[in-house]
Amino acid sequence: MIEINNLTKRFGDFTAVDHLNLKIETGEFFGLLGPNGAGKTTTISMMSTVLLPSEGEILIDGVRLDRKASEQKRKLSVITQEYSMRQDMTMDEVMMYQGLLYRLPRKEIWEKSGELLDFVGLQAFRHRTVRHLSGGMKRKLMICRALLIEPEILLLDEPTAGMDALSRRQMWSLLRQVNGRNMTIVLTTHYMEEAQALCGRVALINKGALQKLDTPTGLIDELGKFAVDETTENGLKSSYFHDREKAIAYLSQAGAQATFRATTLEDVFVECAGRKIG
Amino acid sequence: MGILTVLWEKWVEFRRDFYKITVAAMIAPLMYLLIFGMGIQTTSHGEPYLHFLIPGIVAMATMTGSFSAVAQNMSVQRLYEKALDQVMVSPTPLWQFIVGQIIGGSLRGMYAGALILLLTMPIRTDLIFNGQSVFIMLLNGMVFSTIALVLSFLAKSYTDAPRFTAYIITPMSFLCNTFFSTEQMPFGFRQVIALLPLSQTSAMIRSIANAEPAGVFGYIVLGVYLAVFGLFSMVFIYKKKNL
Repeated sequence: MIEINNLTKRFGDFTAVDHLNLKIETGEFFGLLGPNGAGKTTTISMMSTVLLPSEGEILIDGVRLDRKASEQKRKLSVITQEYSMRQDMTMDEVMMYQGLLYRLPRKEIWEKSGELLDFVGLQAFRHRTVRHLSGGMKRKLMICRALLIEPEILLLDEPTAGMDALSRRQMWSLLRQVNGRNMTIVLTTHYMEEAQALCGRVALINKGALQKLDTPTGLIDELGKFAVDETTENGLKSSYFHDREKAIAYLSQAGAQATFRATTLEDVFVECAGRKIG
Repeated sequence: MGILTVLWEKWVEFRRDFYKITVAAMIAPLMYLLIFGMGIQTTSHGEPYLHFLIPGIVAMATMTGSFSAVAQNMSVQRLYEKALDQVMVSPTPLWQFIVGQIIGGSLRGMYAGALILLLTMPIRTDLIFNGQSVFIMLLNGMVFSTIALVLSFLAKSYTDAPRFTAYIITPMSFLCNTFFSTEQMPFGFRQVIALLPLSQTSAMIRSIANAEPAGVFGYIVLGVYLAVFGLFSMVFIYKKKNL
């Protein structure tokens, strides 16, 4: 279990994460959502000890996580938003380096690397240097690298950014598969449909503080399961309803420009983030 | 184990960039040897100037080799590639990463120094280079690798690495007993320069080369630098809040 207690990160006068409290259960697929600059990446960076908190703590299975906590770090693997790899290494070397850092035997690293790279369709490029890979290929390599060590907790910061739709769906399938093996996954993403499809619970954060925490369905229910979009002079306006009949009644009054649909997690995000930003 | 992993990573880099590293390590020292040692024919203390110059150039080559190997690599890894994140999140104890960097950097410095020895071998100088000289080169390389580590943790941009070379390595190359003895410097300045690690390394390698005892003071100076900067690098990697 991951416990985030009163986690705060300040950069000078700017507070990136503001007294964040979360509990993430073992085996949970947890989403951390928020607008740009909300503090998602900073939170992930603290969970991977790249940044140290200004206040508060992170506990992994009850033990405080810091840079000396090798046993706790052994459970963690992270896929950062940026391509955090040696650009002049080949894919094989990137995988070998990762495996050696986690003290895996060379033979095991070689075999598992082959399986993972084959799974994501990169087997033919094993000897190519990272510098010469496309953005999507680099992203896939980072995922292979993270899964190589079979972590108990996988931290994913925008893991499918830059991937085409097919690759993204493949990645969803892979993530569901590893989550099914009781791997805890913490995901930040800009793709709301991704969070809705994958996450059991999501936290909406803004300006570093927790705004909402619930299942995607719970958050949608709270806003209203039914949405009516109408084009107004000020642009697109969405209205939300708990009751289907009320939504249809509103639709019939709104005229031809209006459409009826189911509310999505993106609506919750836009309502929450838009209101706070505005 | 973590130390071997870092050394493996350094080996991969060395193997890949072998020609670039080798040529880069040779060019500047070779120029100095050609211009100051062979072009401008002169003597020092009644001996050919080359006898004075070669030990200094060997010391300088170990310094620049070690420093640039760590400073550039770490600055790029930390600030541009963000590859250091991979190490930070791994269970490899970070002190092992630091020790690996220091040893790896020092070995690169030794390689640069060994190249100079190899190049000057045909010149019959009767200078002595033995196991003690190699140990001093290793120690010197460790000191400058550690300094490079600390500076790369302080760097705000990966382009700071060449600046460190301009501010620290270039002045030391010229002032610290490489081309002329620090004894000829004004009082006060002389003592300060003598306390810099390259001055001591040059003096010790030169003493051994001339069949004289190296003395203990130089080891103490190098040991103090290694301990102080080693401690700083440990503090940075474990305690720096925004690495």
